[in-house]
Amino acid sequence: MTDRDDLPEVNGYSRVSVLISTVVGLAVAGLALFWAQGFRLGYESLYRVSPSVEGGGIGSDWVFGNTIPALDFLIALIHAADVILGAFILVMVFIHWAAFQRLADQMREPDEDVSEAVAADGGSRARSDGRGGDGA
Amino acid sequence: MSNLDHGKFTRVTTLFHSLLGLDVFLLFFTGYAIMFNDELWWMLTLMGGASGVTAIHRITGIGLVALVVFWITLQIISPTGRSNFSKILPSKGDVDAFIQDIQFVLGRADERHPSARQFAGYKADEVPLLSYIGKGVVFIFSIELTLLAISGLLIWSKTGLAAMFQTKAAAMAFVTFHGLLGVIMLMGVMFHIFEHGMHPAFYPVETKAFIPRSMVPEHHGDDDEEPDTTGIERLSLSPSWRTVSTVFGAMTVIGIVSVLIGSIFDEGYPVPRELAIGGGPSSILLTIGINLGMVVLGVGLVLSMYGNVLRIRWEQQLEAEREPSTAADGGEPQTDGGQPKSDDNEN
Repeated sequence: MTDRDDLPEVNGYSRVSVLISTVVGLAVAGLALFWAQGFRLGYESLYRVSPSVEGGGIGSDWVFGNTIPALDFLIALIHAADVILGAFILVMVFIHWAAFQRLADQMREPDEDVSEAVAADGGSRARSDGRGGDGA
Repeated sequence: MSNLDHGKFTRVTTLFHSLLGLDVFLLFFTGYAIMFNDELWWMLTLMGGASGVTAIHRITGIGLVALVVFWITLQIISPTGRSNFSKILPSKGDVDAFIQDIQFVLGRADERHPSARQFAGYKADEVPLLSYIGKGVVFIFSIELTLLAISGLLIWSKTGLAAMFQTKAAAMAFVTFHGLLGVIMLMGVMFHIFEHGMHPAFYPVETKAFIPRSMVPEHHGDDDEEPDTTGIERLSLSPSWRTVSTVFGAMTVIGIVSVLIGSIFDEGYPVPRELAIGGGPSSILLTIGINLGMVVLGVGLVLSMYGNVLRIRWEQQLEAEREPSTAADGGEPQTDGGQPKSDDNEN
């Protein structure tokens, strides 16, 4: 918080922008709360489905009660999106996992620098940096 | 000379990221205690049953609305926000980065693409603000959070929703939509935690999102010299990295697969009147898997807090070093403002 003249220029957000955004955010959240609560008439239990209900179970009300084909389609669509994006996310996990393994292989093993001819600079072993061992 | 690609965020962004993370994690814990109530019965019970959980979910939901609207407003009204927008638009470089990432994994490329580097041997300015994954995270999470907030509010005022769509089934469709949409985000967040927690050079957590750019001293030593490599070969691997990253990677994969399978089964209105263990189509494996997914989220929460601790520690060190009376002791490499930061790997 002291002088930072030597630090790089940073395009931060101005205090005014942050203040205005905070006020707008809180105001909209307040309105949303008012709106949502305004409709709340204690019908919460109306929509509960008992899993032991005869011939049904969780979700049975939806399956049997729906008369709008478009909603069926939307649910099917979001299910498909779940599966497709889930598979994609898994691919991303595996790519990164494998990339991390390759990166780790390029790094020094934890105890490798102990036997280095050039001593580390007194830092702890884990953060020993090779600053003194550029040839390594 | 190595240089870390952290400090890309402003202070406002780092604070926003932490608040959003905390809020979203609470929404996940409560939302999925509801949706996967047969697998996460303990979580539902801990948070006060169906009524307690829905109350917390709504309070944090309102918090989410405030945060989302705050961020959208800030991006629109501030020049910084508007200029950043052009930097997060997808480009050809992102496609190249994705392809090169695959080649890197297969051993056909020596390095990751600059657009994919979180650890880079370049000056901070030369590495894009966000990798292609980062851009995807911004876009996907933004769209999802907005849709989740809107559908969540509609569900909350369900009598209004029923009036709008005429039937109770339509209202339930929105609940299903909301839950399934959240699953995509849940899977994405698990990946996000893995990606930013298990990078060998940044393990256990990348500090980019916690230490704002304004606090990161940049290297001014030899500006003429362009780095040849990323400098990663100078870093020491943490002794626990291989074990922890393997275990955590497995947990991430199992968690993602489990919530994916669970979401396919739990498609109806998910809150039973009575708490019923095993009431849905659950199995032991699925129960274990979904719980592992929640552990992944828990680790993410801890890492987020740890990132903030690191920022505070960093601030204190920076302050101490800027005291004129204090001699630079070379103790902590992170605070060596004028030194190459090749050793910042731990954080």
